Amino acid sequence: METVLALEGVTRRYAETVALDDLSFAVPSGSAVALLGPNGAGKTTTVSLLMGLAAADAGSVTVCGTTPRAAVASGRIAAMLQDSGLMPGATVGELVELARRCAPDPLPAAEALELSGLSGLARRRADRLSGGQAQRLKFALVAAANPRILVLDEPTRALDVQARARFWEAMRAYAAGGRTILFATHYLDEVDRNAGRVLVMSRGRIVADGTPAQLRERGGRSVVGFRLDDPKAENVAGVLAALPGSVMAEGDRVSVQTDDPDATVRALAAGPLCWHALSIAAPSLEESFLSLTAGPSPISATSREES
Amino acid sequence: MALYYFRLECVRMVRDLRYLALAVLAPIGFYLLFATLFGGKPGAPGELKGTVEIMVAMAAYGAVWGALSATGPRIAQERSVGWLDQLRAMPLTPRQVMAGKLAAAMAVVLPSLILVCLTGALAKGVSLHLWQWAAIVGAMWVGSLPFALLGIMLGYLVGADAAFPLSYGLYMGMSAIGGLWVPPSQLPASFLDVARVLPTYRLADLGWRIAQGTAPSAADAATLAGWAVGLGLLGVLAYRRPRRRRGGRAVAA
Repeated sequence: METVLALEGVTRRYAETVALDDLSFAVPSGSAVALLGPNGAGKTTTVSLLMGLAAADAGSVTVCGTTPRAAVASGRIAAMLQDSGLMPGATVGELVELARRCAPDPLPAAEALELSGLSGLARRRADRLSGGQAQRLKFALVAAANPRILVLDEPTRALDVQARARFWEAMRAYAAGGRTILFATHYLDEVDRNAGRVLVMSRGRIVADGTPAQLRERGGRSVVGFRLDDPKAENVAGVLAALPGSVMAEGDRVSVQTDDPDATVRALAAGPLCWHALSIAAPSLEESFLSLTAGPSPISATSREES
Repeated sequence: MALYYFRLECVRMVRDLRYLALAVLAPIGFYLLFATLFGGKPGAPGELKGTVEIMVAMAAYGAVWGALSATGPRIAQERSVGWLDQLRAMPLTPRQVMAGKLAAAMAVVLPSLILVCLTGALAKGVSLHLWQWAAIVGAMWVGSLPFALLGIMLGYLVGADAAFPLSYGLYMGMSAIGGLWVPPSQLPASFLDVARVLPTYRLADLGWRIAQGTAPSAADAATLAGWAVGLGLLGVLAYRRPRRRRGGRAVAA
């Protein structure tokens, strides 16, 4: 598969903060990749470099075999930036038309508006849109340009739950045409449903790279929980200690962390204890994410945020 | 695409009631008022008739605000809402964006110039040769360039809150001292010395000289060109000035 995005040994510093630290990854054509990480992990910096809005201090960034600026200028890559805004005084339809005129192979305006759920609003002024509508217009600008590669930096920030669901529905419909998508997010549910591959970032590095399922397995263990009918029965301590997994008991509540929940449940069912309210929690992406990105954030990053 | 961008820049000015009121309607209204109050007296020998002198002054007055308001406050606002960031992520080059803004600023100068002149001809009986009308509008149009460049510099230099009052304050100050409100012949000598270095005075002087049937002076052209070059260079510096990202968010985020 052809590689369309490639970072090789990229380092980017802001004053004394290292935003990206020897970062390398490649994205093949047609894939949907999530950049997942806490604030300050380097997601937005990565997006800036891919769009040619910032330059790497070391290493190389390649988009469609060329420089990011050339790829942007030729319309092969387009982005929904996190902090970008809209032209005051222009209408929705005019801005979509501007995006179309800039693109070598644009979508029909009506289709871009339809995809982004703005069909009735073409004549509305961009500065009179609600937050969610403005976000959808930013998506419409990208959709209208019809690029091979879409980069979305926290596209659903500031959207409510329903708007987020609608956004991703539109996004999936759009991506079905074989486009490459890279999106930055810190919403784990968005990763699970919309990415085939996750790059977990922490402090400017990639700390995990795999499918959402692989990532889930990496960090997390299942938790088997149940309640004892009689926690004071004399054989309880010994039986619990013999269960596969690490056991925590508090009053009548017991939870067992295990890599193999099946074995734990079989042992429990075959054993002498009387118990009820059995539950099994699958390893969560969240837990995996937290364990991968855990650690104190660098002091310099904090001080910059206050400046 | 650059042409469509230019069109958008113009369209939004025409939609902007503040532009229409301050740069188009106000000069026409002030012209009618001042020409009625002070325009009746026949000029002394070698001096322009009041209706003509005030017409040129008010055309300049409207043109200056057209050029300034299309750039300064707008660019500052676009920087603060992030539209310029959005443009940078689109195939338009910064050069095309800048050219579009400059061209739009120059385009919105024309209605101010033409409509004040039309008012003079139709309502106040100003009678000039056709070549004079064409030369007044043409020369003053080109002469408005320094103000568009001033606006671009301000737009990249100051924040969205300060851009409008600062632009408007400079506009009013330069208009008053530059002899657009009070005929330069009635300014005290010390004021006139200041007026002569101001682009506002030189812009109007282009029109006054053409209306008298003479060519604009080399000093007019040189002063305006000097302002254009100086402000253009300062604009480039303001544009390249390293600035912190908006909203104080962590740069590394």
